[in-house]
Amino acid sequence: MIGSIILTLALAFSIISMIMYFLNYRGYKNTLNYGRIAYHGMAVLVIAASVFLWYAILTHQYQYNYIYSYSNNALRDLGIFQLLSSFWGGQEGSFMLWLLLTAIVGIILQSYSSKRGDLEPRVMAVFTLATSFLLVMVSPWFKNPFEYIWVTPVFVKIEHINSQFLNSNVYPFIQSFFFTDQSSNQGFIQISSDLVSQLKQAGISVNQFIIDGKGLNPQLLNFWMQIHPPILFTGFSMATVPFAFAIAALMKNDYKDWVKQAFPWMLAGMGVLGLGIMLGGYWAYEMLGWGGYWAWDPVENSSLIPWLVGIAAIHTLLVQKKTQAKGGIGKYAKTNLMLCVLTYVFVLYSTFLTRSGVLGDASVHSFVDPGMIIYLFLLLFIGTFTLLGFGMIAFRWKTLNENIKDDESLLSRELGLFTAMIVLIASAIIVLVGTSAPIFGTAVDTYFYNEMHLPLAIIIMFLNGISLLIKWQKSDANELIKKSTYAAVGAVLFTILLVIFGGVREIMMIILSLTTAFSLFVNLDIAIKIVRGNFKMLGAYVAHIGIALFILGVIGSAVYSEEVTVDLVKGKPVTAFGYDLTFTGGYPIENNTKFAFNIDVKKGNSEYQIAPVMYRSEFNNSIVREPAILTLLTKDIYFAPLGYDEGGQTQSQHSHNHISLEKGASTEFEGTKVTFVKFNMAAETMQAMSEGKDFQMGAVLEIEKNGKKTETELLRKQIDGKVEFTSFESKEMNLKIEMENLSAGVIDIALSALDGSETQTTTTQTETNEVLSVNASIKPFVNLVWAGVAIMVIGFFIAMTRRLKESRIVS
Amino acid sequence: MKNKYVFGGIIIAVFLVLMGYLFTQSNIEYVDDFNKVMSTEKTVKATGSWVKEKNYQIDNQNKTFSFFMADDHGKQMKVIYEGAIPNNFESATSVVVTGKYENGYFHAKDILTKCPSKYEEQTTNSSL
Repeated sequence: MIGSIILTLALAFSIISMIMYFLNYRGYKNTLNYGRIAYHGMAVLVIAASVFLWYAILTHQYQYNYIYSYSNNALRDLGIFQLLSSFWGGQEGSFMLWLLLTAIVGIILQSYSSKRGDLEPRVMAVFTLATSFLLVMVSPWFKNPFEYIWVTPVFVKIEHINSQFLNSNVYPFIQSFFFTDQSSNQGFIQISSDLVSQLKQAGISVNQFIIDGKGLNPQLLNFWMQIHPPILFTGFSMATVPFAFAIAALMKNDYKDWVKQAFPWMLAGMGVLGLGIMLGGYWAYEMLGWGGYWAWDPVENSSLIPWLVGIAAIHTLLVQKKTQAKGGIGKYAKTNLMLCVLTYVFVLYSTFLTRSGVLGDASVHSFVDPGMIIYLFLLLFIGTFTLLGFGMIAFRWKTLNENIKDDESLLSRELGLFTAMIVLIASAIIVLVGTSAPIFGTAVDTYFYNEMHLPLAIIIMFLNGISLLIKWQKSDANELIKKSTYAAVGAVLFTILLVIFGGVREIMMIILSLTTAFSLFVNLDIAIKIVRGNFKMLGAYVAHIGIALFILGVIGSAVYSEEVTVDLVKGKPVTAFGYDLTFTGGYPIENNTKFAFNIDVKKGNSEYQIAPVMYRSEFNNSIVREPAILTLLTKDIYFAPLGYDEGGQTQSQHSHNHISLEKGASTEFEGTKVTFVKFNMAAETMQAMSEGKDFQMGAVLEIEKNGKKTETELLRKQIDGKVEFTSFESKEMNLKIEMENLSAGVIDIALSALDGSETQTTTTQTETNEVLSVNASIKPFVNLVWAGVAIMVIGFFIAMTRRLKESRIVS
Repeated sequence: MKNKYVFGGIIIAVFLVLMGYLFTQSNIEYVDDFNKVMSTEKTVKATGSWVKEKNYQIDNQNKTFSFFMADDHGKQMKVIYEGAIPNNFESATSVVVTGKYENGYFHAKDILTKCPSKYEEQTTNSSL
C-alpha cells in the first residue's frame, strides 16, 4: 500500500512540475521554483519507492504479486546482489527501474540546464512529460510493482505455503482453495481476496501464509544479467535528453545553442546504450549456449534501432555545430531535430515491441501478453511523443528552411559525415523493417539482416577511414591520396595476410576486411599523432578504432567459426580442431544443485580444463545447459553440452497388460471388468504433500467377473521418499492388478493372469558407456568483439568530456 | 548540384531495392494450420503445442530431437530438430518451429518455446 501511495504522489508531483515549468516558459516568473521543488519531490519519491521495493524484496514480502513472481528465498543464498536484481526481473520492475534512472538523469539535467541560459523551463517541461508517462505506467492502474497478490487470483505452489496453515482440521476453509494440476500432480493454493479475508479472520497475515516465491529463471542468475538491464535503461533514460533539447529549441525557435548543449548527452547516452546492448550479447554468449552473441532477435534489435539512429545523429550534429561558426543555424538543422526526436521515439517503440505482446510468438525473451489496456497506453505514449516532435518540426518548418546556401564539395568532411548518417539510417531502417514484420504476421530469416549489412558495413568502414582524412569544406584530391597511402598499403598487406594465413576466401569478406583494416590504420595513425598532442581530441578516433576492431571480431567469430558435435566417452580422447578432448567425469557443484562435466583440452604442451554444466532446474522443471568457454588469445573454444548418458546397466521388463484409467473409466481383461471408482485421500495428506513428507493415497477399484463384484483399494505409499505401490491378487478370478503410477485424475495399472497363462515375461539387459555429448566450436578473434565495443564506448566518453566543456560556452 | 542529395539518394535507393528483394526472399510466414504447413514447400514458422502424451525422443546417434506437435484443430505432425532439446521445452505451453515439411516430417531448424507466466494456464481443477 505504501509503495502505491508513494508512486501516486510522485505522479502528482511530476505533473505539477511539468505545469509549473511550462507556465514559467510562458512567462510566469515565480513558477520556476515550484517546478524545481516539484521535480525534486518527484525524484525523491521515486527513489523512496524503489528503496521500498528493494526493502520488500530483501525482507521477502510475498504479499506483493511482483515479489512472489520474480523473487524467492533461494536467491539470498546466491548473494545479496542476486536478490536485489530481482527488482528488474519482470515487467513491472523494469518499468520501475527505467523510471528510477530517468528520475536520476533528470536531477543532473535540471542542474545542467539551469546553468545554461533560459534552457531549464523548456527542457524540464518536456522531460517531466516523459516522467509522467512512466509514472502512469507503474501507477496502481497499470503495471504496479506493489500490487497485492490477491488482486487477480493467483495459484501459488503448495511448497510456497507455510505448511502449518495447511492442516484442514484446524483451518477447514483452506480445502476450498486447494487445486491440483492434472499432468504434474502439483498442488496449488489459489490466493484470492476471499481467502485473504478468511485468513485475516483466523489471524494469519498473507506474509506469514506465503513463505517463498517463484524466483527467477536460472538463466538470468548471472552477473551480466545483474548489470545489463540497469545500463541499458540508463541509456534509454539518457535518450530522453536530446529529445527534450530538440523540443526546447523548437519552442524558442532558436537553434543556435541546442546542438552543443545536446551533444555531450547524446554521446554519453549512446555510449551507455551501446555498452548495455553489448552486455546483453555477452550474456547470451556466455549463458545460452548457442554459441553466438547476436541472433537478430526482435528484443535485441529493438534496442539497436535507437542506438543506430542516435549514432547517425551524432555525425550530423557535428556538421551543424561546425557550420554554425559561420553564422546561421548551421547545416542539417532539420535532419538533426528529426534524428533526436526519432532516437527517443524508437526507445519507446522498442518498449512497445517488447512489452505489448505484439511479438508474442517471435521472440524468446519478449514478455507475455500484458493486456489490451497496456497495449493502448504504450501506443498513446509513442503517439504523444511522435506527434509532439514532428508536430513542432512541421510548425517551425519555414524558419528551419532558412538554411545556409553554400554547397559542400564532393571531397568535404561534411559530405562524408552526411553519408555516414545516411548509411546508419539505412541500417536502422533494415533492422526496423525486419523487426516490425511480426506485427504483420510475417517474419524474416536472419540472413535478411546479415546480407543487408554486409555491403553497409563495407561502406561504413570505408567512410570511417576516408572521411577522417578529408578536411572540412574542401579537400585536395592529391593531398588526400598522399595522406591515405600508408593506411591503404597497410590495409592491403593486412588483407593479403588474412587471405593467405587466415583462410579468408569470399570476395565480400575480403573487401570488408580491406575497408575495415583501412579504417583501423587511418584512425590509429591519427590517434597516435593526437596522443602526442591534444588528448581530448582523441574521442572520435578511439571510437572508430573500436568499431573497426569490432567488425574484425565479427568477421572472425561469425564467418569463420567452425563447429563439431562429439560424443566423449569417459576417459577416451577425441580429437577436434587439433585439440585432444577427454571427458574425465562429472561432479556436483553449488550444493549439489548443478552438475559440471570436466573436459581436459590438450594440444602439444598446453593443457586446459573446462567444465560445461547441466542441471534440472526446479524453476521450470527443465534441463538447463550452461556452456564452458576456453578463452585463448586469438580464439575462444566454446563447449555447449548437449546431453549426458551415465551408462551402466538398464533392465526392462515387458509382459503385462498395461493400462491407464481415468476416474470413472473401466477396462476389460480376460472377462473381468475393472472400474476405477475414486481416489481416497486423507485430510493430512495435503499437508504432508506440501512438506515433502511421506504420504499415502489410494485408488478404489471395482472388479466384476461373472456377475460378482468386489471392491479393492490400491495404495501409493511413500516411505522415506521412496514410492511404493500395492497390488491386488485374486486366485478365484485368476487376476493380479499392480498399480504402477497414480497422478491426479489418472492411474496406471498392470493386469495379468495369476497363473501366467496369457503372458511371458521378457527381461532385456543393456550395458552402455558413460558418454557426454558436446557441441564444440572455435570462435576466432571473438575477443575483438568485446574489446572493440569497449574501446568504442571509451571513445564516446572521451568525446563527451570534450563536448561537455564546449557546451558551457555561451554564444 | 547538391552533392548530398545525390549521395544520400543513391544509397537509400539502392538499399531500398535490395531490402525489398531480400525481404520477399527471406520472408517467413506464421502458420497455425498444419494442413497448410504440410501442403506448402516454403519455409514457415508453424505454431502449435507439444503433444505431451506422445512424449519426445532424443536420438543420440543422429543428434536429433523429435516430438509431435498439434495445431488448434488437433491436427498433428512429427517434428524433427537437429540439435539438443531446448531449455524450458518440458514446460512450454506453445511451440513455434521454423522449417519445412518434407517426407512426412517437419524439419525444424529452429525451435522457440513459450512458457507460461502464470499457473492459471496449466492448472485445472480436479476433484480429488
